[in-house]
Amino acid sequence: MKEIIAIIRPKKVGPTRNALEQLGFPSMTATAVTGRGLQRGIAGEVNMDCPPELLAANKPGGMKYIPKRLLSIVVQNSDVDAVVKTIIEVNQTAQIGDGKIFICPLEIAVRVRTDERGDDAVL
Amino acid sequence: MKMIRAILRPETAEGVAEALADAGFVSMTQAHVFGRGKQKGITVGTIRYEELPKTLILMVVEDKSVDDVIDIIKDRAYTGNFGDGKVFVSPVDAAYTVRTGAKGL
Repeated sequence: MKEIIAIIRPKKVGPTRNALEQLGFPSMTATAVTGRGLQRGIAGEVNMDCPPELLAANKPGGMKYIPKRLLSIVVQNSDVDAVVKTIIEVNQTAQIGDGKIFICPLEIAVRVRTDERGDDAVL
Repeated sequence: MKMIRAILRPETAEGVAEALADAGFVSMTQAHVFGRGKQKGITVGTIRYEELPKTLILMVVEDKSVDDVIDIIKDRAYTGNFGDGKVFVSPVDAAYTVRTGAKGL
């Protein structure tokens, strides 16, 4: 099992969820987080399109922390590449701040309802 | 690569973030969380607070930078009282940048 931790734009959560559902991975956990990347924060993250001149004017300063969604998706080892590829395809824009994806190993998963362990507990 | 999760006092988190940025570790994610430690929360007068507000700082760094980051966090988040927080380090197999699709940090 692997945990895929994807930190993406809030306004891209819907399309990402739909794309993963089509692929057969409907389950996920989402958390509202703030953060910054190598560029130390930019605007254009809010749930609407910023005019280009506004973005250009804001370039040097920007926001200190940018609102993001952290998605946590647990999948089988063999499915990691497909999920990562889909997330990247859906979330790519021309601007910086598209996000990061981390793949972390996971030892145990337990389904609370049935007490299934390991790979069986994951979809 | 390693993922570093630091659960810190909200008032010290900003200083930690600034110190990390100065040392070159700019990228990080923050979340406001609630939790408790060994002391099971805190008692103020007759009121018991079971869970205390904390700030979670999550960052992924190369293996060789782990000790540097932990040192900075220890230095800036330390008050000497219960509740200064915990730092957890866990392995990360791979990282991708969404915009370019490139592997690595």
